[in-house]
Parts: sequence; C-alpha cells; structure tokens
Amino acid sequence: MKKFLVAALAGVMAASMLFTGCGKKEESKVPDKIIVGTNAEFPPFEYMDNQKKPDGFDIAMIKEIGKRMNKKVEIQNMEFKSLIGAMESGSINSIIAGMTKTKEREQSVDFSDSYYTSNQAIILKKDSKITKLSQLSGKKIGVQEGTTGDIISSGEKFGEKNKTIVKKATVKRFKKGVDAVMDLKNGSIDAVVIDEKPAQEFVKNNSKKLKLVIDSAGAEYYCIALTKGNTAYKEEINKQIKAIKKDGTYDKLKAKYIDSVK
Amino acid sequence: MIDVKNLHKYFGSLEVLKGINCHINKGECVCVIGPSGSGKSTFLRCLNLLETPTKGEIVIGDMHLMERGFDVDAMRKRVGMVFQHFNLFPHLTILDNVTLAPIRHKMMTEAQAKEKAMELLNRVGVGDKADNYPVQLSGGQKQRVAIARSLALSPEVMLFDEPTSALDPEMVGEVLEVMKQLAEEGMTMIVVTHEMGFAREVADRVLFMDGGVILEEGTPEEIFDHPKEERTKEFLSKVL
Amino acid sequence: MLDSFYKAFIAEQRYLLYLDGLKMTILVSVIAILIGVALGTILALMRLTAEQKGKSTLLSKIAYVYIDIIRGTPTLTQLMIMYFVILKGQGGLLVGSLTFGLNSAAYVAEIIRAGIQAVDQGQMEGGRSLGLSYTQTMKDIILPQAIKNILPALGNEFIVLIKETSILGYVSIVDLTKVSDFVISRIFQALAPLLGTALIYYLLVKVLTLGLNALERRLRQSDRR
Repeated sequence: MKKFLVAALAGVMAASMLFTGCGKKEESKVPDKIIVGTNAEFPPFEYMDNQKKPDGFDIAMIKEIGKRMNKKVEIQNMEFKSLIGAMESGSINSIIAGMTKTKEREQSVDFSDSYYTSNQAIILKKDSKITKLSQLSGKKIGVQEGTTGDIISSGEKFGEKNKTIVKKATVKRFKKGVDAVMDLKNGSIDAVVIDEKPAQEFVKNNSKKLKLVIDSAGAEYYCIALTKGNTAYKEEINKQIKAIKKDGTYDKLKAKYIDSVK
Repeated sequence: MIDVKNLHKYFGSLEVLKGINCHINKGECVCVIGPSGSGKSTFLRCLNLLETPTKGEIVIGDMHLMERGFDVDAMRKRVGMVFQHFNLFPHLTILDNVTLAPIRHKMMTEAQAKEKAMELLNRVGVGDKADNYPVQLSGGQKQRVAIARSLALSPEVMLFDEPTSALDPEMVGEVLEVMKQLAEEGMTMIVVTHEMGFAREVADRVLFMDGGVILEEGTPEEIFDHPKEERTKEFLSKVL
Repeated sequence: MLDSFYKAFIAEQRYLLYLDGLKMTILVSVIAILIGVALGTILALMRLTAEQKGKSTLLSKIAYVYIDIIRGTPTLTQLMIMYFVILKGQGGLLVGSLTFGLNSAAYVAEIIRAGIQAVDQGQMEGGRSLGLSYTQTMKDIILPQAIKNILPALGNEFIVLIKETSILGYVSIVDLTKVSDFVISRIFQALAPLLGTALIYYLLVKVLTLGLNALERRLRQSDRR
C-alpha cells in the first residue's frame, strides 16, 4: 500500500512538472495568428449562433481587430475557468470572453485597455426589496462559477477600492447563468448576481417574474487578456481598440450585438 | 390411489401429452419406459404440477389436482419427487438439506427433524456425510440424499424422474438398491427410467409411452417378454 | 510547482473545502447505494413476478418501464430534472442522494435479477417439490446462492456510483469535483486541483476495491467447502 502511494505521488508530481514547466515564454512579439479563447455561453458577448459557431460582440471585436492587423483569427471555445490555464500552457494567446481585469488575473495574464464597461446586475424576484449589492449580505445568491458575480457574492475583495461588498452570503455556483436564474425562479435563492447584459437577456425572457437592479459598485472593465509579458502584442491590440472606437465601427458593433437586446 | 383421465399438455402449439389415462394402486411400483421425447418426464412432472396440464383430470388420494384454487404446496408435501440432477441445495449441509422442509412446514421440531433426518440418511447409507456439503459427495451419494430429503416429509407417493440417468455406471446400483427397498416397504412409486433391469425386477407394472400416449401396459413379463405393439418391440430391441 | 500545490490545497485552508466536498461525495454515494439496494431489490422482485407467473404481470411491466427509462437517459439529465423541476432547489444532499439512489436502483435491480437467474432452475424446482412456497424457496434457497453473484457486482456498482457523483456540481451541489472547480476558478490553475482531486477519488476507490476483493475471496472460499 505504501509503495503504491509513493509511486502515485511521484507520478502526479512528474506530470505537473511537465505541464507547468513549459508555456512561460516571455518573448515580446506580435504572434502570427490570433488564437483566441472564449466561452460561448455569455450572450450577447459570446454565444453559439444557429450554425453552432461562436458569435457575439466579443467575437465580432476580435475578428475586426484581426482584420485590421491582417492576422488570422482562430477561435477556441472552452469553459470559462479553463481559459487562463489554456493561455498559460500556450495553447491560446488571447482571451476575449467578457473577462474583467482583476489583480488576481493580472498575475497570470496581461490585459488590454478596456473595450467595454459592464455593470453587475442583481436579478431579483419582482417582489424583492433589495436595491444594491451590499444588501445581499447573509442572503442566498446564485452565480455562474468563476465570474465576477461569483467573486463579489463570495465576499472576495473586488473593484478599484479592493473591498468586500457582500458579506457572509450563501453562494450557489452553477455552470451556466441560466441555471442560476432557474433556481431563482424556483425560489431557492434570493438573487442572482451576473453581468448586466446577460442579465437583461434573462430578465427579458422572464419579465413577469423577475426584475433587474444595477449597482455601480460592481462596475468592471472588459479587457482582452493576452500572453503575459508580450508588450508588443498588447500595444498593437490597444492601438486597434482605439481605432475601432474612433472610426465608428465600435458603435456599429455595439448597436448590432448589444443595444439590439432590449 | 392415483387416477389420471384424458391428460393433455401443450408446450405452445406442440402437443406433448395426447390424452393419458391410467390408474395406480396404493403400494404399487410403476415404471414408465419409452423413447426420449415420448412425454414420460412431462407426464411425471404433471403429477405434482411442476408442469401445469392443459386439460384432463388428476386425482391423488382425496386431492383433485385440477380443481380451481387447489393447494399445490400442501399436495407436494404428500407427493415426493426425485430429480435426474438431484437438485440438492449446495449452500446447505446434507443434514440441513433434509431437515429444511420439515422444519419450514412446522411438521416437527428441529430436534425431531434432525433425528428423523439422521435415521433416513443412515438408511440410505450416507449418515456419515451429514455435516458435509453436497459438492463433497459423489453422484450416487447425492441421489440417495435427495431420496432421503423427499422421504423426510413422509410422502404417500414418490415420483422418480430418471433418477440414475446422470450417474456414473458404477453408482447406479447403490441408488436402485435404495429404491428397491422402498418399493418392498410398500411405497407407492412412479419411476421414469431407462433401467430395464430394475423395471423387470422391481416394478409391479410397466407403462410403455410413445408419442404422448401410453401405448402398452402390463406386468414386466407381459411387456418385456411378450410385447404386443410393434413400437414396443422396436424400442425394446434397441435397449435390451 | 510546489507553489501551485500550496495554492490549491494549503492556502486559505483550502484543504478544509476538499474535506467538505469529500464528505458530500461519500454521503451522497452511501445514501444513494442504500436507496438503490432497497428500491432495486423491490424492482427486481417485481420483475421476477413475471417468471413466477410465467407471463408478464402489471408489476413486472411497471418495473421494466422504470428500469428502461432510467437506463435510457443520462444521469446528468436526471439530476437536472430532479433539481430544477421536481425538487426545485431543495438541499443538495437530498437532491443528490435521491437522484443517484433512484438511478442506481435500476442498475441494482438488473444486477439482482441477473444474480437470481444465474441460480440453476433446478433449485427452484427442488424447493417447490418439497412443498415450499415460491417466497420460501426464494428466501431459503435461491437468494442465499444468488447473493454470491450479486455482492461483487453490487460493489462494482458502488464504485461506478462514486465516480458518477462528480456531476453533482452541475446543480451547485458542492462535492469533491465542485471544490476543485471552485479552487480552479480562484487560483486560475487547473492542474494541481484536478490531479489532487483525481488522487482522492482514486484512493477512495482503491480502498473500496481492496475491501471488495477480500469479500469476494471469502465468498469463493465458502464455495470450496
């Protein structure tokens, strides 16, 4: 038994060394191809279209950036929580997934300038008296695992002030936002904390039962995550974001993907 | 003692018994012979309702087997059965094999059941194996235990379904010897067998079955020495 | 490397989370197998009424339909239906153990039925010819023999069940796998939590397997008596 334990542990260690050992190239060069990871379960920023291909505001943005840089864009759809790991292992070099810039994530990746500002929304039952995030302390909250809503609801430090907003809440973490909303409709939680845009989608589809509250305390900035240390790539991306905003393309994309959702 | 009238049995659309009529007296030992597929085993199994007859009448003593709501289990306490493959219970000792039914039927206390079981096991010559399990016994010993197991319920009739067919030749004798004793003690017995020597020596009457009917019956001398039917002659010429 | 193991298991006392998750995994599995064996036995007996009567009965049909549906649909779908539709967000332990209990019952029923049918037909005739009822024969003669076929397969079912419970996280139930999901979402590294979790499952199953092997050896010994 003991022998087998030692062998198993040794195996685990060897495997983890193999995996973590590589992938930390710190070379500063615009890659030949934009290999972008996303999690297409976050409408309207990213979702699967009717042809089962990733589409959405983020996808359109990165394709536009690629076009302007004259680079091919390859989209890899995966679970949200796997994105940063995939970047660290080198299998992708960019992430566009409605991802917020945070101190923790910055340890593993670099972030571009913000291309979108999102507020956290609280989805509530019609009769709820809650009006802001801090009132969720001690309540039962549903979230999508690993998202900003999860971070805020779990009482972790958040935002520019780096402070806890929600204290001692019971957090139920789901794979998908819509499952959390379903749980809310079933009455087993008090609120769902999730990004504003998908929240609007959910509430629109359940407008008789649910309502939505926006709290600027949960404001966050969507950025494109890039391979850590690749400043040349980051500068190029920032340049393109600025250009896209300036010439009106940004507003067109926003109108097409985000504002059309009412 | 046993009255069978116009007994028919179908397996699906196949008619295996095509109208059996016979009467067996108390204390009689009747051997049923015939080619395989003639329906003799099915006939025997109908007598304790291991097979449900399609139509006909069976009366054993005061029991009308084909009556609606007939108590099958009560009948089987009075009609013992010995199988070709013994069907001993492998997870129980020899003694427990014999005492199980009498104890479950509350016919006697455990101590009485054990005492009677030992008496029976000694009688069939396997008393020294009482604490063994069936796998440790030879085929002949197993079959003798199976006979003791049936006798433990003090049945009025014993049915034997090819009791020696699965045995090595050298073990056939010891089982037939036990059955012969039983017949001599006056047990009513119906024996489906291929042992023509046993039938000739022990049987009071022999039934020859073929094609789902009793084709010919009579004393062993009549059947074996002066068969009337062509089929009987043909069969006997092959087996004797 | 050590750093990521530290982050995944030691930092912020995360090992406590794994312990809680392991507790949920074990609790759900144990309650589920108990429900599974109890209900599975009933289902198996319901199906066997067909054999007793020689033709299919209402009970055997009900059991067949139940087993057929459970085996024909994914466990994850059953879990989601249980959580979102039937029990509507009740406690995780209840939802989890009930889902997996009802699921396991279908498989246990088939294991028990197969175990019973593997006993020689002559045993039933042997018992019945001594005037024992169907139920008595089942209890005294068939089941004690069938149990030797059933127990090892049941142990196997339990092992499969433990590993299957790793989908509990889909409905926010915090089992061992869900804990590793949570830790991954916080430390942004998947390797250490996943390998650690895999190791814990493996050890759990290994201990069970060794126990089952010992049990099987004992059962086989009694065969050689």
